[in-house]
Amino acid sequence: MQLQLQQLLPVYFDESQRNGSEVWRKDLTFNKGEYIKIVAPSGSGKSSLMHFLYGLRNEYNGNITYNNNDLKKFTAEDFAVYRKDQVSIVFQDLRLFPEQTVYENIELKRQLNSFHPAEKIKEMAERLGIGSKLKNKSRICSYGEQQRVAIIRALMQPFDFLLLDEPFSHLDDKNSQNAMQLMLEEARLRNAAIIFADLERIDFFPYTRLFHL
Amino acid sequence: MAVSFKPIRTLLQTGTNTGSRWFSYIGLGIGVLLLLCSIQMFINIQQLLGGENQRKEGYDFISISKTITNETMGQLEKNLFNENDIKEISSKPFVQGVSPLVANRFRVQLSAGEIIPFSTDMFLETLDNTFIDTVPPNFTWKEGQDYIPIVFSSDFLEIYNVFAPGYGLPQLSEATASQVMVYITCYGANGLQQTFRGSIVALSDRVNSIIVPKTFLDWANMKFGNVHDVKASRLYIKTKDANNPDFLSYLQQKNYKVNKDKTKFGRVKQVLQGIFSGLGIFGMLVVILALMLFSFYLQLMIARSKDNLQLLLMLGYSPNWLSKNVSKQFIPVYILVVLTALVFTEGMQWAFHHFAMFDRPELSSLLHWSVLTTALFLIGLSLLTNYRMVKKLLYKLV
Repeated sequence: MQLQLQQLLPVYFDESQRNGSEVWRKDLTFNKGEYIKIVAPSGSGKSSLMHFLYGLRNEYNGNITYNNNDLKKFTAEDFAVYRKDQVSIVFQDLRLFPEQTVYENIELKRQLNSFHPAEKIKEMAERLGIGSKLKNKSRICSYGEQQRVAIIRALMQPFDFLLLDEPFSHLDDKNSQNAMQLMLEEARLRNAAIIFADLERIDFFPYTRLFHL
Repeated sequence: MAVSFKPIRTLLQTGTNTGSRWFSYIGLGIGVLLLLCSIQMFINIQQLLGGENQRKEGYDFISISKTITNETMGQLEKNLFNENDIKEISSKPFVQGVSPLVANRFRVQLSAGEIIPFSTDMFLETLDNTFIDTVPPNFTWKEGQDYIPIVFSSDFLEIYNVFAPGYGLPQLSEATASQVMVYITCYGANGLQQTFRGSIVALSDRVNSIIVPKTFLDWANMKFGNVHDVKASRLYIKTKDANNPDFLSYLQQKNYKVNKDKTKFGRVKQVLQGIFSGLGIFGMLVVILALMLFSFYLQLMIARSKDNLQLLLMLGYSPNWLSKNVSKQFIPVYILVVLTALVFTEGMQWAFHHFAMFDRPELSSLLHWSVLTTALFLIGLSLLTNYRMVKKLLYKLV
């Protein structure tokens, strides 16, 4: 299981922006079991990179391949399989269903391809400190709480790669560490890779490789 | 893996436009009802007016002639049927047989001899035997035979019985008429003349004429009239249904004259079928309109739920699975709408059969199978248009 980036550059970036980048216009291979840390200041294309890897957007030059299959050639159905079986993501902007409860939001992902039984939702929620919020509509939860919902949701499915796009932006250190711990455990369970993009280095993420975007 | 659609149903926002949804359901129901009722009534008319007129052997026999107008008056050729006319008519699918009615082309006089002092100029005609309803075995003639068997129109006998008393002639029963020996005198050119004996061997309800064997008339037309090939002024047509609208419009188009009374039913049928065809088309239009309204409703629903649907696709839900399941939501509604229309149609048919037609045996209180087939087809059509629409809209969101 490999994610490969070949000479990748967003079409809306000019060539000068690749200068100094360790990702753009480089050939990179990410393997299962690796912990990749991508550090990048605002506006350097962190979310773009995550969206490209997840197949949400394709405004880039170069190639991204998953197991030697070019993402640009994926059909809508291929992406559905890719997102439910192989790659999971925590979006920076969370993307929850505002009118559904916390539990329903997580269950919508779990039922699609369940890696865990339904009881695991409560267990994880309690571990991250949102056990009492399961019945609340997600839109009335705080950002911090919503961020934890998004994290738990991403852990419900099997995956080879877990993409994290500033997953702790609304969490304090203690909650962040807690959540990181959970994600590391879950990644280990699947022998999966984590690709973690953030503004700065975070000490409690034991990365195996570090890139500056 | 069985993914449940239940939690997703709540993500489709339908709440605020319930009105337009119900309007489209009702519209669809009315359209389907109109369409089904029209088809059933169309079939009722076929069964009521089509079946009844098929007589004894299952055929109608009617005679047609060319309409004589001021323009064609005196031009014998234009008022007679030629070979091509006959060929054309017999090639029509609604015509099962054509026989020309050939008349005498010489002077014929008929007298009743001593018993009834009655004598008149007459005409004779001949027709293919298979077109005559009553043909006794002795209805034949060979050259040299001085007896001619005659098939006589029962209408003519009736007319005779009406005027006979006024002329001091005896009225005749059908049995007596057959026993009266008449004398038929044929006159040719140059004083040529020959008298034959004749008697009525059968009375015909079908043919309004005096029919003699073809062999005789062919011979006599040659001998007395010097004509080989006599053209017919009337044609007898054998048809499964004299009221067939196609048949009637063909006659109308060719300007052929036909016994109006016999085809009156046909004209009524033509008009009624026209009305119900119109209603059926109207029903179909309403169905299309309702389906369009429904598709607008669907578009609105998907536009309103766009964010949710997009997020589902983002999470890894298959667009194909979503389309199938979103459109599946409407299966019960569609089936219910069409079934309701079907129940109303059945009620209409029962009431029509029972109250308007007094349980006539030609009709059935139950719906015709084609109505049921149409109903099934409509359910299929609605589901298909629905599925395609949802799929198209969802793939746009990917």
